Amino acid sequence: MRRYVAGRLLQATIVVLLVTTVTFVLVHLAPGDPIALLLDRPGVTEEVRQQWRASFGLDRPLGEQYVRWVSNTLHGDLGYSIAFRRPVADVIADALPRTLLLVGLALTLSFALGIVVAVLQAERPGGARDRWLGRVLLVLFSVPDFWFALVVLIEFAYRLPILPPSGIIDPVMHDYMSPAGRALDRLTHLVLPVTTLTLLATAAISRQQRSALLEVMPSDWMRTAIAKGLSRRRAVRRHALRNALLPSITLAGLSLPALVSGALLIEKVFSWPGMGLLAANAIVSRDYLLITAVVLVTSIAVAIGALLADLASAFADPRIRVG
Amino acid sequence: MQRLPHPFRPHVARWTSVALAGLALSGCKDVQQRPAVAGPNDVGGTMVIAQPGEPGTLLPPLQGQQIEKQITELLYDRLAEIGDDLNTVGDKGFKKQLAERWEWAPDSLSIAFHLDPRARWHDGQPVRASDVRYSFALMKDPALGSPGLPLISNIDSIAVRDSLTAVAYFKRHTPEQFYDLVYQVFIVPEHILSNTPPAQMKTAEVARRGIGSGRFRLARWEQGKRLELVADTTNYRGRPKLDRILYTPTPDFNTAITRFFAGDADFFEQLRPEHLAQIAKDTTRRAISYATLGYAYLALNNVDGKRPGQPHPIFGDRAVRRALSMAVDRRAMLANVFGPYGKPLYGPFPHALSVADTTLPQLPYDTTRARALLDSAGWLPGPDGVRAKNGQRLEFGITTPVSSAARKQYSVLLQAAFKKVGAAARIDETDNAGFLARNGDHGFDTIIELYGTDPSPSGFKQSWTTSGIGKDGANFASYSNAAVDALLDSATVTFDPARTRAYMRRAFETIIEDAPGIWLYEPAMVAGVHKRIHTTTMRADGYWSGMADWWIPAAERTARDRIGLRPTP
Repeated sequence: MRRYVAGRLLQATIVVLLVTTVTFVLVHLAPGDPIALLLDRPGVTEEVRQQWRASFGLDRPLGEQYVRWVSNTLHGDLGYSIAFRRPVADVIADALPRTLLLVGLALTLSFALGIVVAVLQAERPGGARDRWLGRVLLVLFSVPDFWFALVVLIEFAYRLPILPPSGIIDPVMHDYMSPAGRALDRLTHLVLPVTTLTLLATAAISRQQRSALLEVMPSDWMRTAIAKGLSRRRAVRRHALRNALLPSITLAGLSLPALVSGALLIEKVFSWPGMGLLAANAIVSRDYLLITAVVLVTSIAVAIGALLADLASAFADPRIRVG
Repeated sequence: MQRLPHPFRPHVARWTSVALAGLALSGCKDVQQRPAVAGPNDVGGTMVIAQPGEPGTLLPPLQGQQIEKQITELLYDRLAEIGDDLNTVGDKGFKKQLAERWEWAPDSLSIAFHLDPRARWHDGQPVRASDVRYSFALMKDPALGSPGLPLISNIDSIAVRDSLTAVAYFKRHTPEQFYDLVYQVFIVPEHILSNTPPAQMKTAEVARRGIGSGRFRLARWEQGKRLELVADTTNYRGRPKLDRILYTPTPDFNTAITRFFAGDADFFEQLRPEHLAQIAKDTTRRAISYATLGYAYLALNNVDGKRPGQPHPIFGDRAVRRALSMAVDRRAMLANVFGPYGKPLYGPFPHALSVADTTLPQLPYDTTRARALLDSAGWLPGPDGVRAKNGQRLEFGITTPVSSAARKQYSVLLQAAFKKVGAAARIDETDNAGFLARNGDHGFDTIIELYGTDPSPSGFKQSWTTSGIGKDGANFASYSNAAVDALLDSATVTFDPARTRAYMRRAFETIIEDAPGIWLYEPAMVAGVHKRIHTTTMRADGYWSGMADWWIPAAERTARDRIGLRPTP
């Protein structure tokens, strides 16, 4: 097992290095210049732009910039964000906890809800409940994230103004609230983005889980359980579910990167200043080091997520052996 | 035709909305014309602004983006403020700010500025003449890399006569020497900044502290969450009427507009036509139109982007440029995109400038003449209807930024108009970074520019003279005409405003005749504001210039207006 984990970590290191190298090169080759975006006003001379490029080390050959970036990163320095004018590590340190909260909560809720819905469907496949839930899930699975988030925003923040439309707190009143009021303020700001993300993710999880349940239903041991007098509902919940959890475990492992990469479109619509929004802003402003750092953090999360998924699968199903 | 989705209801009532827009705008006109008469009890209140982006710096000599300009202008003062008519010649119309008075030397090569002894930095230290000297020296230092550096090249030095008198020396006596100094140089605190080498200022924490002498001071800045300005209650120019202004970053347009209509934000700087019907029916919000110094035109590249120095195979030909200009029904396009509130463009200048002239003769909309002109220039229709000359097809790209709904609509309308006279245009949409890159290296056939000029006539030299061609200038079309160069030179050295206007008129006439661009529109800027907030005049070079005098009557305040200036717990 140890050799297996060590091997996977070595593989992950190589993958992370490759991914970040490709990203570093590609973002530098993309058309556009972060300095031109920063100095978007009349009368700026090329000499001034060159001076700014030199200040941020962008005048050096690409190879030299890359070597410097690798060296600095190995020493724990992710560089300086041109757009935010702050160290990249500080910018990520601000955004990461917000995304962990949003996506972590949404993933937890969506897995719980997704599995419950799948069980309810699998208890009577083809029945009215299964058909109706299936239709709702299909709609949720098919709608574009961005559109759905906007609809939720407009319905619950504008037409029926019961929830705050954006941000993580009330920017004016939050500091003047009681401790309970502040907690409630944070909670109410979470409701719309978490609900949107949860519903969208639930659709995918539930459809996967339902298929897995239906696959194990015709098994001999299920027939035996029902023949011994167990109701179909109890058989599904006590026996089928345990044996059909593997796809959800894999999906959970593969969803882990979203904890750090964020949900870009949801964060944008609800102005949630997390990693997704950060990545989007970094790309728009051609903030090279910030883009590369976001990719670095995300690719590490992908590698860890995949490893954890494999280990969890082996733990859940003794037939699977790792190493 | 592409339009952004209406966030609130289907598009059935688009033209009803446009008709109602007139109502909304006429209402706001009244509000704007009303004098600012805040009563003694009308001090206080909070205004929340939904803003798409955030600043990178709060140090004026480093500001390069609109949001940085806006916030630094609220935090810092100039020696004197430009007048509402945006005159840049001499000191006519300029209003005192840090300088309570100024004296010109007999030879006009120096001006002594006498500072207001009451002026204080936000940390309580007095503003001194040495700060003026330092501010200029900092901006002039090449190590700082100030984007405004080329604009102060005529200022030689600033000396300190006594603690409250700074004397500025100029290299040449020019009509705009006063403007060059007072408009471009913000006064920054030497005691705060001088410990940081200019070369390190771009990344220094001190450049984000925003300690100025303006009527608002920076209370806090939490990136991604909020930037809060609060009233400087002991300011030498008087306390602002509002207690605080909160900028809240809202990167998505639809979210920002929802926040505004949901009451989460009080001010949104750019409504779109489809929102005007809604705001006309709204009892708590209103629309305000305001002028800017921007103008949009289709730049026709006079040089070949692939072969520098060579004329463009299509637009190097003046007859083609004129013919394509005549193929465009600019008024119909304006009505199509902006409805009744679109502002036509009469040449390469916005209305708000003192040198603007809306009586200039225009190339007519006449597709018959356009076709005849192309025929006579040797561009003849091919079998597919697209014209060609010597094997070169009349086929080209229109570059437009994907982020601009209006320019995207215009690109489609232009494409259709060109097709009618036998020109095949393809639309090249690109993101903002790609757009600026193409602008910089002239890698386009045509490009829809939205250019924000300076209030000064000398700004036109960057855009339309031969010296403005290349990476240092803003002559995106690489247009060159010696007569225009001479006229704009003359316009910027005369001290007589009437002669300046006459030179500018002749220069504009020549440019319009040469058609290096097709003049499309002046951005019709309409802000949405909560009705409890009473605004004052919005100057074209920055609608925020009078924000310190905006007020909320005591009787109309909401909960967030009543929190006052007590410190946060």
